[in-house]
Amino acid sequence: MPEPTVLRRARLAAQAPAARTGKPSDVIREVTWRRVREPVSGRSYTVLQIVTGRGLVGYGECGPIDPRQAQAAAEAIRDEDPSAYEVIRTRLAALPGAHAAVNMALLDILGQRAGAPVYQLLGGPTRNKVRVLATLEGATEDELKRAAEGALRAGYKALSVPLPEVRAPNQGQAFVLAVRKRLEDLRAATGPGVDFVLDAAARLSPGDAASVAAALERFHLLWLDEPCPVLNLGALRKISDETVTPVGYGRAIHQAAQFQDLLREGLIDVLRPDIGLNGISPIRRMAAIAETYYVAVAPFHRGGPIGTAAAIHLAASLPHFFIQQIPLPVDAKDRAMRAALTSGSIEAPKDGFVALLTGPGLGIRVNEEALREYATT
Amino acid sequence: MRRREFVSGVLGGAQAVRAASPLWCGCGMMPTQAPIGAEAFQGLGSKMRVTNMKVFGVTLDPKSDRPYVFVKLETNEGLVGWGEATLEGKAGAVMACINDFRDFILGADPIQVEHHWQSMYVHTFYRAGPVIGSAISGIDQALWDLRGKILGLPVYRMLGGPFDPRGVRGYYHARARNLEELRALRASAKEFGITCFKSGIPGYYEWIETHEKISRAVKWMETLREGLGPDIDIGVDFHAKTSPTVASILVKEVEPLNLLFIEEPCPPENVDAMARIARRSTTPIATGERLVASYGCQRLIELGVADILQVDINHVGGITALWKVAAMAEASGISIAPHACEGPIGAIATLHVDAAVPNFLVQEICSGVEPGFQEKVWQEWLGFPAMRMVDGRFPLPEKPGLGFELSEESLKKYPFRGTVPMARVFHEDGSVAAW
Repeated sequence: MPEPTVLRRARLAAQAPAARTGKPSDVIREVTWRRVREPVSGRSYTVLQIVTGRGLVGYGECGPIDPRQAQAAAEAIRDEDPSAYEVIRTRLAALPGAHAAVNMALLDILGQRAGAPVYQLLGGPTRNKVRVLATLEGATEDELKRAAEGALRAGYKALSVPLPEVRAPNQGQAFVLAVRKRLEDLRAATGPGVDFVLDAAARLSPGDAASVAAALERFHLLWLDEPCPVLNLGALRKISDETVTPVGYGRAIHQAAQFQDLLREGLIDVLRPDIGLNGISPIRRMAAIAETYYVAVAPFHRGGPIGTAAAIHLAASLPHFFIQQIPLPVDAKDRAMRAALTSGSIEAPKDGFVALLTGPGLGIRVNEEALREYATT
Repeated sequence: MRRREFVSGVLGGAQAVRAASPLWCGCGMMPTQAPIGAEAFQGLGSKMRVTNMKVFGVTLDPKSDRPYVFVKLETNEGLVGWGEATLEGKAGAVMACINDFRDFILGADPIQVEHHWQSMYVHTFYRAGPVIGSAISGIDQALWDLRGKILGLPVYRMLGGPFDPRGVRGYYHARARNLEELRALRASAKEFGITCFKSGIPGYYEWIETHEKISRAVKWMETLREGLGPDIDIGVDFHAKTSPTVASILVKEVEPLNLLFIEEPCPPENVDAMARIARRSTTPIATGERLVASYGCQRLIELGVADILQVDINHVGGITALWKVAAMAEASGISIAPHACEGPIGAIATLHVDAAVPNFLVQEICSGVEPGFQEKVWQEWLGFPAMRMVDGRFPLPEKPGLGFELSEESLKKYPFRGTVPMARVFHEDGSVAAW
């Protein structure tokens, strides 16, 4: 990560004087970052609170970030008008994680100012509900089967399944058979109408990824996710030339240009930018590129419920969104924390879809007490 | 109006502008130069001049998104030419656009059709999308109809055909919903000598799809083969409902069915995206019904994406443009199987090009084995069973031009009842779907 020295302190107020917009400017006064952690899974994320001079409060979320970066981002936005969220995006380009949270919080404030949910600010709704994908937790076949049953009970119809353990850089037939068995057993256990993403978490070589993907063509995965690290494009071509199993990439990508390369070379079937690394409007810009390749967007998410809220608004603003990933903790204590942070769970699908959040801004009520309770710092 | 009066009326203004504006202006506000039928081509063409252009909207079924748009050109010698510019869902726009070309055509010598085509396309500045392309198509067909009548030849003979005097091989749409109906269709096909059918795939598709939706589409294509049998050719129209991702899975999985083609595996804008499908499967890819002019097909041909081009004579730019697409395609080993899903004039015009190019494969008509109301009206208008196959082929007309007579009077029974938009369909979550 580059040092935050590239941050510039140009004042935005000069570009959008209050007198001309007809609105008294209401600038950012307080910026507070807090790290929270799920008690059992240990999953941790950073919650940002922005308060304006007139007392509007906006929330955002990103992954764990360096405190110096958090502070640099805070300094870069203090005294600015939240409506300049695109100008602020360009200023925070070197701090993608921190900017993700800032972007959510700015849109939250703008929505409240306008009395409209964020998806309305962004031209939506393009859909009336949001398809969701549960990330199954578990290492063994039994754990995964239980997690799958739990996800179905919770209302999910699409499940992200981890690979079996990868023991060597190149795998033999036993590994391919183990992958197939894992998925076929899960399909048998969950019955018809349930779909699967296979999460390779960038642990395969391109060659092995192609072998696994080819072996699974007739299984009809929704897609094979992050089959290998995003290396040079020639290495990735092996996978998409040798198989028609869809592949997704993007959890580590925060530059739209990197997706543009993958799209131009025909290497990607689903864009997977992390909501907690990019925020809402940067993903909308990536999505605009993908649209011209007829490639769907399904944001990655490994964070908390505020990130989920942002992702729901993003989904309701995109024309070619497909599915939103949501971490689904096995332990009830973790699930209780996620529900508590937003004063009641927004991660409660019915028949595979969650409802839109129709209140102003992000449309969630963040529980400050819960934030303090689960804070790590 | 007599020709002399007409020419002085139209051209007088332009010449006056030219005299009064000696300065060149880079913004494109150039005075009109060498107008239609002007002295530039005196003595080099025919003596025939277009004296009037009429545009007809014709509504057979008030619910249909494609009321026919016909163009009739009248001439100083009493001959008339007919063309078709039907554009699905945009009848009003294309009728207005044809009228915008009035000055290009009044006073024109129909014999120099290529010249007029170039003028309509190039002098439009924006070149052409589907509205302008359809307007040009209608006028172009009517000019070809007149050319044939001037020279006393059917259009396919002017183009150097026919390759097969028995006619043009065609296909109907397989109007069947299950295995039993497909088997019945096979029986009629065998009886009537029909050799080919086309069908679609069920439902609407998101850009990533589920096991259930993909399996259902594959199952339907397998059922088509099972019901129609091993010796009937089958085309399957994806109608650009699918993304490259979903289409790639489908076309690879149905390779063992040896389909004649799958059509429009993804939308047409991004040719490289479609190339991704083509290079991962042996199933032949057909596409092109939404493309305008030979320019619109250039990348598809150069990148080796399409095995079969299906441009539509009512949108691509008429006979002139369809023939050029066929010529370009031949050089790359690509066949043409033109789309035809509008009225009878465009369909008949297509037959003329089909009959005169070596790389013609099969001609569509959006019709079933059993003729319906539309086929009855076409017969009532033209006096013969237009676009009905005999022994699996559409017979070729014998008369000069496009080879039919049509009276304005007969169209009056079906007056224009306005533009009807194309279907608007949505996914389960309310988002926009393609059909």
